[in-house]
Amino acid sequence: MIVVGAGPGGSVAAKVAAESGLKTVFFERGRKPGEKNSSGCGLGPRMWREFPEMMKKLTPEVAPSLRKAACVVNHYLNKDMEEIAIEMYYPTESVTYEPAKSFITMNCYRSEFDPWIAGIAVEAGAELRTSVLIKDLVKDDKGKVIGVQTEKGEKVYGKVIIGADGVISTVAIKSGLNPRWRPDQITLVPQYDFSADRKKIDQMYGPDGLLADAADGIWYGTNFPAAYQVIFGDGFHIGLGSWMGQWTANPISFLNKLVSCKPFQRMIKAIDAKPREVQTHLLPWTQEPVRTYTDNVMLIGDAGGFPCPLEAEGVFPAMETGKLAAETAIKCIADGDTSKQALKLYEEKWKKASVGIEFQAGESMQTLWRHLMFSTQSEENSMEWFIPLWHELRGGFYDWSEPHIVRLRQIIKKAQEYLPQAMTFFSKYMMPVLTDAMGDQISLMPQLMKLMEGMRPRPKKK
Amino acid sequence: MKIELEKISEHVGDTGDFIKLNVDKCVGCGNCALVCVMNLWLMRGGKAQLKDDYTQKCLECAACYSVCDVGAIDFSYPAGGTGVVFLKG
Repeated sequence: MIVVGAGPGGSVAAKVAAESGLKTVFFERGRKPGEKNSSGCGLGPRMWREFPEMMKKLTPEVAPSLRKAACVVNHYLNKDMEEIAIEMYYPTESVTYEPAKSFITMNCYRSEFDPWIAGIAVEAGAELRTSVLIKDLVKDDKGKVIGVQTEKGEKVYGKVIIGADGVISTVAIKSGLNPRWRPDQITLVPQYDFSADRKKIDQMYGPDGLLADAADGIWYGTNFPAAYQVIFGDGFHIGLGSWMGQWTANPISFLNKLVSCKPFQRMIKAIDAKPREVQTHLLPWTQEPVRTYTDNVMLIGDAGGFPCPLEAEGVFPAMETGKLAAETAIKCIADGDTSKQALKLYEEKWKKASVGIEFQAGESMQTLWRHLMFSTQSEENSMEWFIPLWHELRGGFYDWSEPHIVRLRQIIKKAQEYLPQAMTFFSKYMMPVLTDAMGDQISLMPQLMKLMEGMRPRPKKK
Repeated sequence: MKIELEKISEHVGDTGDFIKLNVDKCVGCGNCALVCVMNLWLMRGGKAQLKDDYTQKCLECAACYSVCDVGAIDFSYPAGGTGVVFLKG
């Protein structure tokens, strides 16, 4: 089996295949895995549920940048880039398993994570070839893929070829599975890494810090697409993204606007942070994966368009599809049939898995997000009403400027100004997600209606 | 806050050419110049033009290739083991 790409998906595929006894080679264009990759990079708890044996070995000894993000801090900026609200959320009571009850993400640089996970595949017996760029696929006289070709012209043959080569995937392009992305399927994500003082991060974001273990943050604003902040041992990532056709100015200008604003500057001063590295990558953020298999070929991870349609989590979907593709390859090679018909098994597997369930609501979820925090460069900028409305409803009442009943009237009056947009948004973009989640009879709704019937106004006191 | 991007990115080795512009196909829309974070595309005489030293600055995101509606930009990654290196990616 050949795997093109030694990211988390490729490495899991190579590990699973090698463990079963398949002769497996995986290729990396960098000098080592991870040096060409940038991402958020928060690791989701599903990785620990699906790959428990592997993930318990990810410790600070092998990944010094590891930092737990037990909760997320939301920062809201108004149109003048002033911070008007901060919220902090730990996992809620409805979360069902550990370690998801204990953290939102575990954060670790790709330059540490990718070599670690590739090492596990090598231990399992897979051959890793680094500094090798796969430039083409080798096809037989019927046009079926039977191998890969390196930039130096070397041909390597395999029974199954797995495309784990990221968003611009040679395997996807040359096999015809995905010759080109549409602009609404991929986002462009500029990102800075900031170095910071480890002790000061601990004081602010560490376990005993001011914001206990709050190592993930989201910055919302009305004039930039929502930005994520992911905090590591001695630094953090700040990045933002939007779909290809949506940029009205250079993407980095939006990030620069954010890092230059007063609240952000205050934060970096507190932890003694300085820009350390600039990274930019494309990220598939699509309503459904592309065609993911053909004769002798399967696509996994970003190459297949698997990042989550709502929040674009990419590492777990890559690992899960890597595992499923390798299991499919093992069975089909053993059966002596790796044709398109046989490899359909891969699609059946991922549709039933966690990643496939995510895409059952792919269209509604991606559409919802697009029209909320990523609509800031469009006519219907939803953040212009969402942020002040949220601010008013969540924070307006705790105010001593007037008798509280007067404040309540003021808040309701102000909120009413935003209601037409909010209600339109709710019915257009929220309802489809709720319908996808709950089916035709949104079963929560009748209960709510019943509750509301009981809420008759009290007669007013004389 | 002024951040000098070139000072905070690292490149190694001889990449060879990995982005090529087909000038005949280019319609001068400027999409590539708009999205390039490192500002490696210029618009000259109604056509895009790639800076000479792009191989030492490009972050290899392939945004230019992806936004070129007329398919005038050919993008393939640098030679194995060369190009941008992300130490904290």
